[in-house]
Amino acid sequence: MKRIDLSRNRGCRLRAVLVVALMLCASMAFGQPQPISGTLSAIGSDTMAGLTLRWAEALTNRYPGISVQFQATGSASVPPALTAGTTRLGPMSRPMSAEERQAFIDRYGYPPLALRVAKDALVLVVHRHNPLNAITRQQADAIFSTDQACGAPSPIRRWSELPATHDWSYGHIALHGRNLASGTHGLFQAEVLCGGRFRPDISEHPGSSAVVAAVGESPNAMGYAGYNHLTPMVHALRLITQDGTEIAPTEQTIQRNEYPLARNLYLYVNLPPGESLPPADQAFLALILSEEGQQIARAAGFVPLPESELITQRAW
Amino acid sequence: MIPPRAPVSHQPLRQLKNRIATSLITAGGIGVLLAILAIGVFLIWETLPLLSLDETFALTKLSPLAWGTLKAALAAMLFALPIALGAAMYSALFMSARLRSRIKPALEMMEAIPGVVIGFIAGLVLAPWVERNLASTLMVLVWLPLSAGLAGVLWHLLSSRLRQALPLSWAGLWLVPWIAGMLLLALWFAPLLETLLPGGDLRQLLEQRWGLDYATRNALIVGIAMGFAVIPSIYALAEDALADVPDTLMEGAHALGASRWQALWKVALPAAGPGIFSAVMIGAGRAVGETMIVLMASGNTALLSASPFEGMRSMAAAIAIELPEASPGGLTYRYLILAALVLFVFTFLVNTLAEMVRLRMRRRYQKAGRH
Amino acid sequence: MPRRLTAAPQRLLDRLWPWLCAASVALSLLMLTALLSLLLVRGLGHFWPATLEEVTLRSGEVVAGEAIRETPLPQQAGDERLYFTGNRDVAGASWRWVPVDDIAQRTTPEDLVRLTRTPWGDFIGRLVSVESDGERLEGQPAWDYLTAALALPANQRPAGALLLATADGQTLRQPLTNISGATAPNAMAWWQKTHTWGERVWQFLSQGPRAANTRGGVWPAIFGTVLMVILMSVIVTPFGVLAAIYLNEIAHQNRLTRLVRIGVRNLAGVPSIVYGVFGLGVFVYGIGGSLDSWFFSDTLPSPTFGTGGLLWASLTLALLTLPVVIVATEEGLARIPDAQREGAVALGATRLEMLVRIVLPMAVPAMLTGVILAVARAAGEVAPLMLVGVAKLAPQMPVDGEFPYLHLERKFMHLGYHLFDTAFHGEDVQAAMPLVYATALLLVLIVLMLNLTAIFLRHYFRRQRGNEC
Repeated sequence: MKRIDLSRNRGCRLRAVLVVALMLCASMAFGQPQPISGTLSAIGSDTMAGLTLRWAEALTNRYPGISVQFQATGSASVPPALTAGTTRLGPMSRPMSAEERQAFIDRYGYPPLALRVAKDALVLVVHRHNPLNAITRQQADAIFSTDQACGAPSPIRRWSELPATHDWSYGHIALHGRNLASGTHGLFQAEVLCGGRFRPDISEHPGSSAVVAAVGESPNAMGYAGYNHLTPMVHALRLITQDGTEIAPTEQTIQRNEYPLARNLYLYVNLPPGESLPPADQAFLALILSEEGQQIARAAGFVPLPESELITQRAW
Repeated sequence: MIPPRAPVSHQPLRQLKNRIATSLITAGGIGVLLAILAIGVFLIWETLPLLSLDETFALTKLSPLAWGTLKAALAAMLFALPIALGAAMYSALFMSARLRSRIKPALEMMEAIPGVVIGFIAGLVLAPWVERNLASTLMVLVWLPLSAGLAGVLWHLLSSRLRQALPLSWAGLWLVPWIAGMLLLALWFAPLLETLLPGGDLRQLLEQRWGLDYATRNALIVGIAMGFAVIPSIYALAEDALADVPDTLMEGAHALGASRWQALWKVALPAAGPGIFSAVMIGAGRAVGETMIVLMASGNTALLSASPFEGMRSMAAAIAIELPEASPGGLTYRYLILAALVLFVFTFLVNTLAEMVRLRMRRRYQKAGRH
Repeated sequence: MPRRLTAAPQRLLDRLWPWLCAASVALSLLMLTALLSLLLVRGLGHFWPATLEEVTLRSGEVVAGEAIRETPLPQQAGDERLYFTGNRDVAGASWRWVPVDDIAQRTTPEDLVRLTRTPWGDFIGRLVSVESDGERLEGQPAWDYLTAALALPANQRPAGALLLATADGQTLRQPLTNISGATAPNAMAWWQKTHTWGERVWQFLSQGPRAANTRGGVWPAIFGTVLMVILMSVIVTPFGVLAAIYLNEIAHQNRLTRLVRIGVRNLAGVPSIVYGVFGLGVFVYGIGGSLDSWFFSDTLPSPTFGTGGLLWASLTLALLTLPVVIVATEEGLARIPDAQREGAVALGATRLEMLVRIVLPMAVPAMLTGVILAVARAAGEVAPLMLVGVAKLAPQMPVDGEFPYLHLERKFMHLGYHLFDTAFHGEDVQAAMPLVYATALLLVLIVLMLNLTAIFLRHYFRRQRGNEC
């Protein structure tokens, strides 16, 4: 869990005065309304910690009066916190389940506002010199699972068993993944293994970037990680769909939900119907859904929402 | 002349203060000791509910972890023992006193390097390098001891003046460049040697001939990294034990015509045996409980394999990554606490054994010194 | 004669084994030096303004960037070199692998600049012009204007925009407000580079992390580590000394005391992670949970003390280092000759007076050594902290101007955990590597310094005592 308070940027009192004075000039220059102040607190996803922080950084740069606190306790902690009223904003890397939503409605009588704020994807990665470029989901399942729940005929253990890497001189496939506690682990299990069981000899790393680093160092390795962790050491595999088309995890395919392992990132807001949010929260939402906020998401390695979706989301 | 003071018993305030303070210290002392001992009680208390559950669950979950812990510790000991004991023997028996007073603290500083730093170097720097240069690494492991022997042979062939310039009692220092040079030689030579192998690639050979898979983070890496971490504690204790052997014993052995080798093997080692044993035990205890190095360098695969080129998952690492996410009171929580209990009991027993042996030895020397 | 036959290999052994032993010492020293110099070179080298290269490939493509490292290509096809090229917004990636054999020309033009920006990270390319207040500057005046503007505090900089060009000719506009630093390393003299190096080292030590821990400094982590260690020593010293006095001065020296003593000594060998489990189960979930339900029930279910925090971390580490302090203090107490105690009592002192005036002052050096050893051990411990209160990012310092000033329930950052986190959880490990090295170096330096102090103190006091005798 992390608490983030960007109020430290404000520095000492003298500087705060200067800042206010300058903010006046800056707000004129940027055509902004009066400076907004207040405290904004959010509890939420671990995956989105970096992204939320960058948004918060940008927000406090623009409105130094706002201080942001963020605790990254994981997506699972958002629904209870929202329901209990501990927080008004909750970034989540998955949608709320029906029960979580119902619990919120039971307490307040209205559903929480769910905003899609960016897109992310799970990617399969191999070493940058690996000749393998595309893979079917069944093959991935046969590589990573013991029970082939997606219907592959036999497990795949060696590179020579994949057609594309038949002549690849490295023997067995070394597997890398996340540890049990992470959401990525669960998502991969549900989406790629069809709910089956992981092989026991997968190296379980405590972070996505550790997975990517490990795969980037060994030519015979394959692993899965979040899209935002891709580095030049590895390349992401294209997924072959049922009708035989290959889809690479690129910004376009993820944006259009064509890439099968794409997912939305959400921001849940406790907003009573007919009321408006405090100015600080409003400014935060406006920033996230603005062009600048989406560029920040891109810079953090995620995929911005497509323009059409952005417009519908802005209409909250 | 100092005026005589009233006896203590006639100063009720002082007496009272003394009594109160004594009982406070007693209470505080016992309290602290109880707090420390509460660790064991807590761990047992929290694992009790597991007994009422299906017993096989904990066992199946725990056995790969226990195996991984032992494998990691074993690998570390294989790497650390020869180096630590060799260093201890050298610095207790041969090293010049001046060098010893410098080298010993330096080696003890090794112990201070945090595990997380060693783990980071092992996992992100050493492991990829070893994977790319497996042949060189194995070659180095074989070649370094040989080159040390070679240094000895060459030294005996030197002219006596050079021998005096490079005395054995300072060899620990001037051998450093020699070892470094030999290391570079091995690194340069190994790829040439590897091309002579059938297939020209060691990893392929390992895989095809013996079916050995190679994982980037494996027992070899963990052994080297954790070995590095436990060398200093084994060295310090073993060196103390050897240095404690009364000189009279060694001198007697030499007087009776024993060679240095015989004196060491037949006199010094048996005499210091218990001390060395306790050093090894304490080193093993450290290796079993070290968390960050295994977490960062082992790959955390819960496998029951004995291959030095495959990873493992240790109990300590499993606790560190899974316990913060486990809900208190749940099954995972309890079995992780059981793992902690196993670690606690194991290290406690090992250390107690080592301590008892050490105390007994010390008593024996006190006797020997008196005679 | 069988004796002769066995004698020859034995003579050889007799000659050679000392060399094997000597080589062990040499090897240990070599490993230690190698580790330290690796950290030093990589950790400090990161802050040096690196030379920027402009590389023309055989295909005619131009790449500008900093060369990071080289690795062999598969099938003995030569080497490839990794360049950090920056410009993620233009190129889509800020890294580029270039096969060395494909390079036609390699130059280091002096007009290449490297800008630090938000949110897109570094820019590497050329400065075309600066536009400010309707004015347009080019060439050297533009560069001078930029450096002058960047020397101002962030909120006093003039509004304006830079026109930049990448090495392959694309141009982009960048508002001045997004730029936080600019260097032209190829044009710098060594003393300018040294100056920049010093500045960057200072920034690393004094600033908080930026862009989700991938840049910026480690000040909150240093602060958190130090504060936690101070709190820990405040807790551990009195209790450790109390227990040692009890064990050595008050308890009857019987079998039970001996057993307890062995038990305490052995707890020093119990893995730190076990203490972490204890801290989580007892302090956080047990005591913290109860505190929450009694005093902070209005904020439940979000926990106040029922989650890891500074207080619980310090307590856990205090428990972990208690045996160290007890053992060291006891050794000091045991070294005081009984004649001193007997003399004091014979002169009419009560036990309390004897302890406070005679025994404790003589044992101070031992206690000090014990505490410093405890601090050194605690500063390098990470595993138990992962369970009881360390955070990936907590720029909200545990000490601030808000009442009650010291927030014991807050999470804190720790150098060791920061190192682990940036190396394994960060967004781009390749980019974070230099920072990881620098953090590792800092941690090692802090811990070594504490240990050296302890060794020096022990040595000093021992010698002083030796003179007395």
